[in-house]
Amino acid sequence: MSLGTQSSEKKSLGTMSLIKQLWLAIIVLLLLSFIGSLAVSITSSRDYIEQEVRIKNSDNATALALSMSQLDKDTVILELLVAAQFDTGYYRRITLRDTDNSVLIERSAESYQGSVPQWFRQLIDFDVPSGVATVQDGWRQFGTLELESQHSFAYDALWRSTLELAGWFLLAGAISLALAMAIVRGIQRPLNRVVAQAQDISAQRFTTISEPRTLELRYLAQAMNQLSANVRQMLNSESQKLDELRRRLQHDPVTDALSRDVFMGRLSALLESDEARASGLMIMVRVSELDKLNERLGHQATDHLLRTLVMQLAALDTTSEAPLIGRLNGSDFALLLPLADDVEALKTALQQALNNTAALANDVGLPAAITPYSANDQRGLLLAALDDALAEAESDSAYHRIVIRHHQRHALFNTHAEWRRALDNAIIQGPQLAYFPVVDAQNQVLHYECPARLALGEQWQTAGVFIPWVTRFELEPRLDLAVVKAALAQLEDNSEQRLGINLSIASITNAQFVTELRSLLEGAPILAAKLCFEVPATLNASALSGLRGLCNTLRPLGCQFGIEHVGADFTKLADLHDVGLSYLKIDSSLIRGLDTSHEQQTIVRGMATLCHSLGIQVIAEGVTEPQELMYAFLSGMDGVTGPGVRL
Amino acid sequence: MPAPFNPSPFKLSRRQFLATAGALLLGAGLGIHPTPAAAFDPQRLRQSMQQAYGQSGLAVLEEWFAMLERLRGQDVQMQLREVNDFFNRRIRWVDDMVVWGEEDYWATPLEAMGNGRGDCEDYSIAKYITLKQLGVPGERLRMIYVRARIGRSQITQAHMVLGYYSTPNAEPLVLDNIAPSITPASQRTDLDPLFSFNSEGLWAGGSSESRADPLARLSRWRGVLERMQSQGFI
Repeated sequence: MSLGTQSSEKKSLGTMSLIKQLWLAIIVLLLLSFIGSLAVSITSSRDYIEQEVRIKNSDNATALALSMSQLDKDTVILELLVAAQFDTGYYRRITLRDTDNSVLIERSAESYQGSVPQWFRQLIDFDVPSGVATVQDGWRQFGTLELESQHSFAYDALWRSTLELAGWFLLAGAISLALAMAIVRGIQRPLNRVVAQAQDISAQRFTTISEPRTLELRYLAQAMNQLSANVRQMLNSESQKLDELRRRLQHDPVTDALSRDVFMGRLSALLESDEARASGLMIMVRVSELDKLNERLGHQATDHLLRTLVMQLAALDTTSEAPLIGRLNGSDFALLLPLADDVEALKTALQQALNNTAALANDVGLPAAITPYSANDQRGLLLAALDDALAEAESDSAYHRIVIRHHQRHALFNTHAEWRRALDNAIIQGPQLAYFPVVDAQNQVLHYECPARLALGEQWQTAGVFIPWVTRFELEPRLDLAVVKAALAQLEDNSEQRLGINLSIASITNAQFVTELRSLLEGAPILAAKLCFEVPATLNASALSGLRGLCNTLRPLGCQFGIEHVGADFTKLADLHDVGLSYLKIDSSLIRGLDTSHEQQTIVRGMATLCHSLGIQVIAEGVTEPQELMYAFLSGMDGVTGPGVRL
Repeated sequence: MPAPFNPSPFKLSRRQFLATAGALLLGAGLGIHPTPAAAFDPQRLRQSMQQAYGQSGLAVLEEWFAMLERLRGQDVQMQLREVNDFFNRRIRWVDDMVVWGEEDYWATPLEAMGNGRGDCEDYSIAKYITLKQLGVPGERLRMIYVRARIGRSQITQAHMVLGYYSTPNAEPLVLDNIAPSITPASQRTDLDPLFSFNSEGLWAGGSSESRADPLARLSRWRGVLERMQSQGFI
């Protein structure tokens, strides 16, 4: 039976585990009570027997001597008397000596041996003096009578009772050990939970556990749960403070939309990125003649109208937690919908949203334009196209007309069926991994970011091209598994460096995926310890619990976990305090222009401090300029990645 | 003079204390009792006498001590005579029923001296213990049950005398409270000896230490020996 932790075998007696000490105490106690009661019982029996035999010896000697004193001192008669007494009684020896101490008459018998072991005889060793009495002949002494009873039988009786007692104690010992085992088990289970929690907390995972029934352990668990709760509360308030700061700095105070600079920064970062969100739809809405509206409705009503517009627009983005809405100038609002591609559906929804807004006042003109965007589009060209479309919409007599500007986009495949077939083949063929180093301040590689490339249309395509379609066909788990396999294959060739792999939200909330991933990694435990899994920051509650479960499953294998694209609006840090993340990657929208913006530096530094308090590393994404790289480290980043990083 | 403060040299650490206490407890459980010291103890005798019989008893006891002093180292004949006279004179013969309210009570010398009265066995016991105290070997002294004829009549009575055997098979000298002088047994035609005993062989190995036997009280002879021990005679 394994008691205590596995390493405790190596430990000295001084650091013996509680459970072991408990066992030792129980066993010692049992042995002590056994030996003690055996000794007491044997000693008292022995004393009693000795006493009885002594009395018998003494009484019988006196009685026999008394009889002899009354008789003629004829040798035959005396011998007959001794023989009669000896033969009919239980004696070992009867001796009559004369006054010179020479033996007149003696009768003796062998002592009874029985089945008592010799050592027991020696241990007990009855010490009974023989009975002595003087035989009188008139006034003179005739001689001395000595008499010893047969007491060997007592060894036998004592030996039997000892055996019985030992039997009883074996039984009682077995029962009490069984009881003790039950009790120790009852203590051990909650104790292990408490120990696991303590280890979690020391690893800065502030978990909570259910309270054990044992009183002392319950207090301990309560205290540690309280500690975890306090940490969580502290993180909550800190990240809220950070969020407030960010809002003040980056948002339009009236509508809560992003300010122009911030929005433009996000847009550029998105367009330049190599990932799925680099393609989608963009909307621009203009509030016509805002000044006149202001005069006509008054400030408050106008502000209310603008706020409603922003809210209505935000409702169009159903996927992300913080919709990317910017107020480009006083009257122009823009919305980015990454991953969206259904223009007609969006148009209908937008029409509804604009109608809802316009209903607040009379004669409100809300012309709008929609255009798709994709990776590597020029920001300027995109905005120009939207402006152009907006002008067209505005010129029209209709109050809220929506103009769609179709982008001249090169499409790989024309139909869904073609896409499906191509993706299936590409996943079966296997993805290729790109390598982007993540380095620390000493330019040492922390790990390599490995976004997947799929062979589509006889070319390796980046995520931005195929991810919308993978999402549409719900192929994420299959793709992610294929990427993990590719990474493991890479590691087999060169297991020097850690590899960072993206997992989609759809994958980590998929139970089958988690099971398959686990068995896949358990097949290669050494290589698995070289993997980092990254999930996007767009985590909802179920994704969060999925991530927590995945971490608990894979952490024993040595895998690391991180969250990528963490923007300033990321307020879930408090919920992540018990997950055990290794790193957080700060979105490039916060890093772009870090060297020039005091506000950004403040926000980034605050996030770094918070993360460090949880033992989480912070990595800056999308670093392009040497200045940004320098300021990233100055702001407390542990690592950087992006085009500006050179090994 | 006030005793100078002296830190105990037997300062025990907690662990040592626990170990000692545990050992004592275990020892007590196993029946290892320390044996009480048993020896002739004048001081204890005085205390016992003072408690039981007050000043008058104490006076007799002091006389007894004085006699012991005087006779120590003297020859046996003189010791026998003086001791015989001492008790015959100091103790008045009364039946046990009168003194102790029971049929046959064996008194210790202290009780006999304190009371000033006693039965025949009380004389014998007192003489026996006193002579032993004077260094007369125990095996030479035996208490003898005798049948006594009173005067010239045919009335007989159970009686006890102390016999002194110069050798184991010699004719004893009889120390009696009826006849005041010590005479060889053969001249005591009024006495028929029946049985004799002494304390030799009662105790294991001839040692004078009792085995603290709870059953001792059940035997008259053992009982009186126990009482003498507790009073400080032996």
